[in-house]
Amino acid sequence: MQALQGRIGLFWSGLLMAAVLALPWYKGGATLASALSEGVAGRVWLLPLVGAALALALLSVATRDWRVHPAGAALVGAGLGWLLLQGFGIGLRGPVLPGLGLLFPTAQSGQPGFGWGAWVAGIALIGALAEVLAARGFCRGERFAAFSIIGIVAALSLFVFFPILKLMSAAFVGPDGTLALAPFLNRITASDLWSVGCLTGAGRCGVVINSLVLGILSAALATALGLALALLVARTDFRMKRLLRAISILPIITPPFVVGVAIIVLFGRTGIVTVEVAEWFGIRPTRWIYGLPGILLAQVLAFAPVTFLVLLSALEAINPTLEEASTTLGAKPVTTFRTVTWPLLRPALAAAFLLAFIESLADFGNPIVLGGSYDVLSTKIFFAVVGAQYDLGQAATLSVLLLTLTVAAFWVQTRWLGRASYVTVTGKSDAGLVAPVPPLIKWAAVAAVVPFVVFTVGIYAIVLIGGFVKDIGRMEMAPTFGHLWTAFSFEINANGLQLFGSAWNSMITTLWVSALSAPLTMAVGILTAWLIARQDFTGKRAFEFGTLLSFAIPGTVVGVSYIAAFNVPPIDITGTMAILVICFVFRNLPVGMRAGIAALAQIDRSMEEASQTMGAGGGRVLRDVVLPLIRPAIFTALVYSFVTAMTAVSAVIFLVSARHNMATAYIMGRVENGEYALAIAYSTVLMLVMVACVAAMNWAVGKRRLGRRTGVTGTAQPAE
Amino acid sequence: MTQTAIEFRSVVKRYGDATAVAGIDLAIGKGELVTFLGPSGCGKTTSLRLIAGLELPTEGQVFIAGRDVSRDPASARNVGMVFQSYALFPHISVLENVAYGPVIRGTPKAEAQARAREILEQVGLAGLESRLPAELSGGQQQRVAVARAIVQQPDVILFDEPLSNVDAKLRRKVREEIRSLQRRFGLTAVYVTHDQEEALAVSDRIVVMDKGRIAQVGTPTDLYEHPANPFIADFIGDANLIRGTVAQGRFTAPGMALPVSGPDGPATLSIRPERITLTPGGPDRVVSATYLGSRMEYTVAAQVGEMLVSRPIFEPRLKAGQDVSLHITDTDVSRVA
Amino acid sequence: MTHRLALLGATALSLLPFGAFAQPKELVLYCSVNEEWCRAQSEAFMRETGINVLMTRKSSGETYAQIKAEEGQPRGDVWWGGTGDPHLQAAQEDLTEAYESPVLAELQPWARAQAETSGFKTVGVYAGALGFGYNSTMVTENPPACWADLLDERYADDIQVANPNSSGTAYTMLATMVQLMGEDEAFAYLAKLHANINQYTKSGSAPIRAAATGESAIGIVFMHDAVAETVSGAPIVTVAPCEGTGYEVGSMSLIKGGPNPEAAKIWYDWALSPAAQEIGATAKSYQVPSNSSAATPPEAPKLADIKLIDYDFAKYGSSETRAALLARWDAEIGALPK
Repeated sequence: MQALQGRIGLFWSGLLMAAVLALPWYKGGATLASALSEGVAGRVWLLPLVGAALALALLSVATRDWRVHPAGAALVGAGLGWLLLQGFGIGLRGPVLPGLGLLFPTAQSGQPGFGWGAWVAGIALIGALAEVLAARGFCRGERFAAFSIIGIVAALSLFVFFPILKLMSAAFVGPDGTLALAPFLNRITASDLWSVGCLTGAGRCGVVINSLVLGILSAALATALGLALALLVARTDFRMKRLLRAISILPIITPPFVVGVAIIVLFGRTGIVTVEVAEWFGIRPTRWIYGLPGILLAQVLAFAPVTFLVLLSALEAINPTLEEASTTLGAKPVTTFRTVTWPLLRPALAAAFLLAFIESLADFGNPIVLGGSYDVLSTKIFFAVVGAQYDLGQAATLSVLLLTLTVAAFWVQTRWLGRASYVTVTGKSDAGLVAPVPPLIKWAAVAAVVPFVVFTVGIYAIVLIGGFVKDIGRMEMAPTFGHLWTAFSFEINANGLQLFGSAWNSMITTLWVSALSAPLTMAVGILTAWLIARQDFTGKRAFEFGTLLSFAIPGTVVGVSYIAAFNVPPIDITGTMAILVICFVFRNLPVGMRAGIAALAQIDRSMEEASQTMGAGGGRVLRDVVLPLIRPAIFTALVYSFVTAMTAVSAVIFLVSARHNMATAYIMGRVENGEYALAIAYSTVLMLVMVACVAAMNWAVGKRRLGRRTGVTGTAQPAE
Repeated sequence: MTQTAIEFRSVVKRYGDATAVAGIDLAIGKGELVTFLGPSGCGKTTSLRLIAGLELPTEGQVFIAGRDVSRDPASARNVGMVFQSYALFPHISVLENVAYGPVIRGTPKAEAQARAREILEQVGLAGLESRLPAELSGGQQQRVAVARAIVQQPDVILFDEPLSNVDAKLRRKVREEIRSLQRRFGLTAVYVTHDQEEALAVSDRIVVMDKGRIAQVGTPTDLYEHPANPFIADFIGDANLIRGTVAQGRFTAPGMALPVSGPDGPATLSIRPERITLTPGGPDRVVSATYLGSRMEYTVAAQVGEMLVSRPIFEPRLKAGQDVSLHITDTDVSRVA
Repeated sequence: MTHRLALLGATALSLLPFGAFAQPKELVLYCSVNEEWCRAQSEAFMRETGINVLMTRKSSGETYAQIKAEEGQPRGDVWWGGTGDPHLQAAQEDLTEAYESPVLAELQPWARAQAETSGFKTVGVYAGALGFGYNSTMVTENPPACWADLLDERYADDIQVANPNSSGTAYTMLATMVQLMGEDEAFAYLAKLHANINQYTKSGSAPIRAAATGESAIGIVFMHDAVAETVSGAPIVTVAPCEGTGYEVGSMSLIKGGPNPEAAKIWYDWALSPAAQEIGATAKSYQVPSNSSAATPPEAPKLADIKLIDYDFAKYGSSETRAALLARWDAEIGALPK
């Protein structure tokens, strides 16, 4: 055993040696431009790292166990510290920290971002750090767990917290590039944020007010509609559960913008419905849909399924005997509903409302299509970055505001759910009669649900037809595959297969990014779930909060923060496919994590301990025992992250490049330009691809599912 | 004592502010079956997990087979463990469950399975190798768990409340099986239970724990007949505790005087209920008489207080309200304080 | 165990920058004409040279912002098309590379002037005049013929124009009005016009598309964009305003420090050739090409027939003027209540 552990120590120091001696240290560097040769050639600040690597290698050969040797810990800590200090301290155009400039005069010429060598060195040092800590009893000495925790914490710090911190600091940078409080105060108190002119009738409202008005209205309406749907399904003979559940899945696989486009086609100035109505009543068609009404309509349609699911599970969890008791005590149905059902539902209503509120604040796709001149925070952030007036400070300030709002709502929601969950399912038989809702409420619910179903069907009819007729916007209904061909034309000629269709580039990138990010997201998410559910370590609560935080950050904010953090060395990855993959992995991580935690809660922990006592290390335990038992959670995480990677827009819109464009960004461009048919055709293709991929995943992951274990996998979506 | 298999040296385990194990020194001999006994929260399960490596000590050292394993994770120790819930892997067969350990530790699969078959046969499960655990009865599952724990010839086998999921009727049989397997294979075993009868029945030695410390270590007879303190006396079996004073080798309490050893001063004696004899007529009175099938149990109001008395069923029965005399001799008592 | 950790390391490695290795035979094109033309042009280039074109279409203002944001690490090679002002601004800020193409001599004087103004950091590829188009099914009587007609309250909430912050077209309109009327009068005009504007779009050509589908009645755009809608069957009538109007010199620049400089020059020379310049017409883009030997499409609005102002590209393309005008627009027009 001792000998074996010594060898594993050698692995990390060997990797570190390879990183500093054999790999190109800088991004885009030549193969031989390792830390050593760069250091000798003048970038002397790299030499301490080379020295540390050599010393660690010597130590691991010379001592019995370097991991418990005090020098080992010191070398690893100093190495990691110096790696970061020099990376962040010396930028592309010279030292950021003046002290480093004095210490190393050659630093004036700056250094490029981290390349293979630096990344591998970082990983090796983190691995070595995990060894050092595990040898001192961290994670009960489990090296795999220690490595996972330290690795995930490092990754979270780098890809969630660092960008947010960088973003916050960007909010304090003035036009002259210096850090100060005044620019932030100026921006945050600007009247175009807080003006309430529209309410008093004296001008426009600020974006913050706009966002809040939209969020509250949208959440209230979506919750009301969700409640109507849930009451109909759970408490009446109006049995359309399957249909309603199917409809509730649609928004998840619908690419953004397409619903907005369909709404324009139906209700725009020349929309099918608008024109008909205008003719009947002889009124002039207007552009009423652009602005608050349009966004509201699209958001309610999109969020009602979410609130429906939350409220349905709450309704189903109410023990019917409580309502029965009320009835046997002589209460009328209305009284029972008012005094028993409604109070029991209240926490779920609040949760649904907050969920929809967060989603509405974070929504980007609908406001950009339907907003007209109704600005909200997410679109304002977008224009601050991609508009001609590139102003990261402004974008950062707005992002900080948006983040504050969503995190506050998220916090309230977590608190609310944590405190007042009236779970009345006890596991005992509760075969009471379900109390029917009072007729008045039933008919109100029907009145709300019927238009919803009609709308949804109408919108998806437009989506289905729109891509395959000449111009749905102008009601030219001649069938054609022309739009599809524009997007996906190809030719096999002298140059081999040439893809001419303008959508190929984005489609291929999207598939790559989704295919790479889905398994990674699942792996990191499930691993995180396992660490949280099964490992005890210092800082676990902070760790848990950190992973959940990445859930509450709106996509637009993530996008801006990535630009702020990763456009410059040392972590210079904008414009690459890696940044897209990383973005998705850390945004969707909480979904896999929650599914994993829920599944793990049902699995006896002693099975893993049994595996450990029989000699299995953490990785082996995970593979042999945990993973086979939580297959459904794995599937959920996989599908969810895949689908999100294909349909998310708010974060990626900032991160796409000409080289790596994404489908949703491409569709947005088409919508902007009024090429609705092309946008719809592409969206249809995207949805078909998604359905096909999910089916394939189901086949691959689910074929050996254990019949008697059905995983409970509660999922929610991160704020888009 | 024979060779030491396990040794605790000043072991402390803390979780944040809470102390689960507050300093234990203990040596367990090779081939011995030692039981950790105590009320819930006394630290017995934590001590077991410290041996397994599922917890690492905050202070002190744990030695297994003479090697300091205080910083070794569970996977690096050679222990077998039988869990309360058995913890059989539900997704693989009985054979694969038992062969799992050897395969993990690098034994070729065929050899590991041959060994697993052999052990399964020895625990009487031949023919059930290809079943899934869910297809076995509770008792069979337990034997699989034991087989899985001993297949690797561990330095020690650990039992964590192994009978708590077994029907009350079957418990005696299963614990005898465990005991005989342990003897047959010459295994060092550590057993955790909160049931004192089970502990008395199965152990070579018992370690009684209280609030993270060892209260007493001894053979079942030692513990029952010579409890070191009132806690042990009360925890193992039933005991009447009598407070009085010792002066010049004589213990006195109201209506009672017995010769005892030990220093002068206030003292507490423990008297087992079955060691008290009753004769009709006298200063004391039967408060209640309970028929328990195998014996009679009386509560008697005596001058020293209420005393619990247990008498064989064949003796003449006494009734509640009857006047009686209590008889206690000095060989029936032990001084516990 | 060891190999599993190694595997984990390898997985982590797979997260590393994929784009770190520049591939040959590739060109990253930032395209600022309309999508269809961008596609046709890229496709023709791919066919001719076998060089794979990675194209993004963004409006010229956005592209300028992107190139500026990427200044440290340019990702694009060529910026082709879009109004000349942001190209000039980029040249002024040293974001683009000076290059004198051998084809330069074949170009129209206005295209060469663009190159000379910028120290050969940009060059004209086409020209087009500003105007507007109206939907003839919606505006049936007394159609507008002048800028002043657009203030008519008949058109309340019926006119669309892009936001000058993001669109070169809209900036050209802003600069045209300032040159035509004087700055204060121009802003007074725009403030009045604001009452009729239903939306300031991001893309310069979106307003005419909205007029074509009837979402709006009038779109202020370059005339060739309006003509394109008419050609594809929309009831759009193109108007050259009677007071006179400005024009754009659609330009092209090489991005400084781009990843594929050779491919970029191949594109640059090719894009100025007559054959390449005639592709626009096949993609419903009826601008006037800058190469004298390239045929002007018959549908293209004839510059000679339009009353063109003497547009001062040097002044209105400069950063200072541009920033000042946009700031004033934001304060006086963008902030007006809707």
